[in-house]
Amino acid sequence: MALTLTCPICGQRNGYEFRYGGEEKGPRPDEEGLSPEDWCDYVHLNKCVAGIQKEWWFHRDGCGAWFTTQRDTTVNLEVEQPEAQL
Amino acid sequence: MFGRHKPLWGKKTRLKSSYDAVIIGGGLHGLATAYFLARDHDLTNVAVIEKRYIGFGGGGRNTAIVRANQRTSQNVPLYKEALALWPVLTRELDYNLMFFNCGNLNLMHSEAAMNAARMNVATAQFHGVESHLIDAKQCKELIPALNISDDITYPILGAMYHPPGGIVRHDAVVWGLAKGAARHGVHIHQQTAVTGIGVANGQIVSVETDRGKIHTPRVLLAAGGYSAAISYHMLGIKLPISVLTIQAMVTQPLKPILNHVVSSGTYHAYANQTLKGEIATGAHMDPWPNYTTQTTAYYIKHQAEALAEMLPCLRGVKFMRHWAGLADMTPDMAPIMDGNAPLKGYFMNCGWGYFGFKSCAAAGKYMARFMATGNCPDMLKPFTLRRFAQHRLMGETAALMSYSPDN
Ligand SMILES: Cc1cc2nc3c(=O)[nH]c(=O)nc-3n(C[C@H](O)[C@H](O)[C@H](O)COP(=O)(O)OP(=O)(O)OC[C@H]3O[C@@H](n4cnc5c(N)ncnc54)[C@H](O)[C@@H]3O)c2cc1C
Ligand SMILES: [Zn+2]
Repeated sequence: MALTLTCPICGQRNGYEFRYGGEEKGPRPDEEGLSPEDWCDYVHLNKCVAGIQKEWWFHRDGCGAWFTTQRDTTVNLEVEQPEAQL
Repeated sequence: MFGRHKPLWGKKTRLKSSYDAVIIGGGLHGLATAYFLARDHDLTNVAVIEKRYIGFGGGGRNTAIVRANQRTSQNVPLYKEALALWPVLTRELDYNLMFFNCGNLNLMHSEAAMNAARMNVATAQFHGVESHLIDAKQCKELIPALNISDDITYPILGAMYHPPGGIVRHDAVVWGLAKGAARHGVHIHQQTAVTGIGVANGQIVSVETDRGKIHTPRVLLAAGGYSAAISYHMLGIKLPISVLTIQAMVTQPLKPILNHVVSSGTYHAYANQTLKGEIATGAHMDPWPNYTTQTTAYYIKHQAEALAEMLPCLRGVKFMRHWAGLADMTPDMAPIMDGNAPLKGYFMNCGWGYFGFKSCAAAGKYMARFMATGNCPDMLKPFTLRRFAQHRLMGETAALMSYSPDN
């Protein structure tokens, strides 16, 4: 089955309309006193979870919204959830 | 495949409860490292643990392209040595790796790309790797089937021509290295999954498998696309990797029409004719991390469009097979080779994305030296995991491959 994603504005659309925006890693860390290791952790390091992960998407060929959703990386399908967040 | 039959590489071995080194993954890099551990360092009490069958990962799925015209001075020497090793290994392993050094043409479609290619060619020449910049007419002389007219989406201005590159039979590399390693006494255990890694006082002590525990002071993570997940799930160590699916396909066999590897970054397509006559082609990656090896109609269409423009004589030719594998991509498109960090006895060789076939022989040779001596060879120093925190990323790609919400 092909990937579809649910844009909070446009609804369920073909996955190729979107650009993946990375694993959800919480808020951007405060730059004050930030160590190179912690910055690297935020910018580069991933969990690469084999299973369900929360992640960012950008509706590139659509309304331009950034949103988070959950997807199971072992089957490449969006997971049903109460509602996507902008 | 597993039953009572004798494996192609030698006799079946019993899984022992301890080894001097355990290698996770019977892919290209795991088998190459095992081979060189035994050949160069007398470390023969070594187990390669493979969850499925050797070559299940990228080892058996890649499109077999080899070359040594990378972008940076840290990378070129490693790939140069890897390229020189194919004929050596063919003899040494007594296995026909079918190295066909037909040369690679990397097509350029803009003045900016031609300029970038000039730098690339200069880097290659500096390191003694043959590479030339050629114009569209010279491309046509080398590949008469190429469309150099300007009525296509991205007209061809020229190419970076790299005569010593070409293709090598990918399965033969897997089987040949397995045979060579086994001949030196290495144990290869298929259908055995690593399920955990034991650590005591900051030192590797064991590996858990679904067939029992193995005591060992050294482990090499060489699980290809599965490495980052293993690292995080088993050791809590996050890596700068995104795992994407990369697809490839072959056409029906044709009479010889394409005598070189031809690739285009702009069309996102490469093609070469296998020794069987099929046009093997691919390049695109689905731009979202996942662990499926699903193929999509989207890329069949993309590939057909690109080939029909670049090589119009292929219009109407049918695709016969289409498959996919995992590519463990790092932000700077260079691998991670590191050891004794952050744990003593813990080595990693991963992040090879879609370029880990061409490099496997040299990478295996130097990783084996690192594991046997404990000292990182100079060749591998730039590939440390620490480069990401030190802002010393390599320039193998002009723009970082980044999948983060901040860009
Ligand atoms: C379609 C495609 C085309 C490509 N084309 C090219 C090309 O033209 N040129 C090039 O240089 N490279 C190419 N590559 C890339 C190349 O194939 C990979 O970089 C290379 O295979 C990486 O080797 P590896 O040894 O790291 O991993 P792999 O060869 O993937 O081997 C890893 C092994 O680890 C095993 N494993 C996973 N988890 C466990 C576990 N828990 N326990 C035990 N074993 C485990 C897997 O079953 C697998 O056999 C391509 C890849 C693909 C998918
Ligand atoms: Zn939208």
